Amino acid sequence: MTTPLFELKGVSAGYGDVQILNDVSIQVPANAIVTIVGPNGAGKSTILKAIYGIAKVSQGDITLHKLSGEAIDVRKTKPHNLADIGIAYVPQIENIFTTLTIDENLDVGYKGNGGVASEERKEKLYKQYPDLAIRKKDRAGTLSGGQRQMLALARALMSGPDILLLDEPSAGLAPALVDQLFDELVRINETGATILMVEQNARRALEISNYGYVLDMGKNRHEGEGKALAVDPEIVGIYFGKR
Amino acid sequence: MAEFVQLLFNGLVTGSILAMAAVGVSLVYGVLKLVNFAAGDFMTLGAFIAVFFSVSKGWPLILSVLLAIIGICALGLALDMVLWKRLRENKAGTLAFFLVATGVALILRQAILMIFSSGSRKYAIDEIATFPLFGANIATAQLIVLLLASSSIITLGLFMAKTTIGKDMRAFSDNPSLAAVSGINVNRVVRYVWIINGVLSALAGIFQGMVQGRFDSTMGWTLLLPIFAAVVLGTIGDAYGALLGGMVLGLVMEMSTWSVLFGGIPSSYKPVVAFATLGLVLLVKPEGLLGVKARSI
Repeated sequence: MTTPLFELKGVSAGYGDVQILNDVSIQVPANAIVTIVGPNGAGKSTILKAIYGIAKVSQGDITLHKLSGEAIDVRKTKPHNLADIGIAYVPQIENIFTTLTIDENLDVGYKGNGGVASEERKEKLYKQYPDLAIRKKDRAGTLSGGQRQMLALARALMSGPDILLLDEPSAGLAPALVDQLFDELVRINETGATILMVEQNARRALEISNYGYVLDMGKNRHEGEGKALAVDPEIVGIYFGKR
Repeated sequence: MAEFVQLLFNGLVTGSILAMAAVGVSLVYGVLKLVNFAAGDFMTLGAFIAVFFSVSKGWPLILSVLLAIIGICALGLALDMVLWKRLRENKAGTLAFFLVATGVALILRQAILMIFSSGSRKYAIDEIATFPLFGANIATAQLIVLLLASSSIITLGLFMAKTTIGKDMRAFSDNPSLAAVSGINVNRVVRYVWIINGVLSALAGIFQGMVQGRFDSTMGWTLLLPIFAAVVLGTIGDAYGALLGGMVLGLVMEMSTWSVLFGGIPSSYKPVVAFATLGLVLLVKPEGLLGVKARSI
């Protein structure tokens, strides 16, 4: 198998004495969408928190394999430097700066990765999100729920990341907006971005994913191609509820 | 008319001084979650340092002001190193920060008395000089302070809006955890917050001292409540809000003494007016002047 872009290998992590993740391994190939699903309390969000050092990693490796061949030890990288090495994170809630303008939100997200100038990257994103472009001088707090989520994605993309980490991107969005969001993720992926997301809207997320992992009780339970997992009767029954 | 012009002028002067101090308090709170009860005493100390060099030592005023600014910046950075940083690292709560800040305020006030001895001070400026404006007599000191304060505020506004560190600071103040994952260097932001707070506190203190004519070690302390009111009025943690809150409160406090309005409220009630204004605004707009209603997503 070729080297994945991003990888967790045998990671155990938790908070204080409580261990949540137990020997979890995840591989994210370049240019793929990978989704982690599982029931509540399975440890999905803890994976992202472990990457950001919020949950304490007791064992295992987290590595970003840059296209240049360089392997970066994520555990040894300070959280505020992760954006510099090419990892962008979109939290589930409070994922925009509400008192800053839309334009300033993008400015704050900018990192010089890939040697692209801030203005150039902004222009590209505004072309992609005309709704944001029209209102770029407005405070971000005035945006609607769907627009906020687009701004959160745009802010993360401003850093020119190798990989985009999304924590429950569809949480709290109206059903019509959920479809729009997943379409947007596909579009972002098609422009070359690699995505690793944790999602509770499992069926919908797996349908657009190249690969999926099912987590249970802090352990790898199943994995497979996204579309196959989405319709796997056993998994559908156990985790997603029957329709 | 003369009275109105005079009060409007007073209001602009008081407002710009409050606004400068309030931005400092707002940034310190927004970024460090520290309710800086010592903010008033930072101002007083700044005013005393400038008087010490310019009056007692006879150095040029500009140089003395610069030394005061440097002194207050250094004080902020030093206190952060020995005090606030440790409290943050030990995950101290808001109350602990608040109490320690109160202690710092008391120590500073006494230290000013010990170092500079008690008694009032004044700058070597002609406090009686006035110039006529629409029938009112405006003190020259007030005009100078208004010009300097408004240019400081404009510079500050541009700094916060245009520079990377300004945006980073506002972003951090808005949402610290998102700022951290967006790659904003926390330690750098903290350092800049103390520097900007130092510049603003020192200048606000010096300006207030010049406008008052004579001042003593309690000068900043007596301004603390209106400063806090300005921060809350403009939406907590929003630097632009604090600017607006300070200007609004300054104008309201001074204008309230206008004799046309119910014969004018006695000037000793100015702080009451400040808080009444705060209360009224918060009743109508609980999130503050610039706040956006928290929405559920």
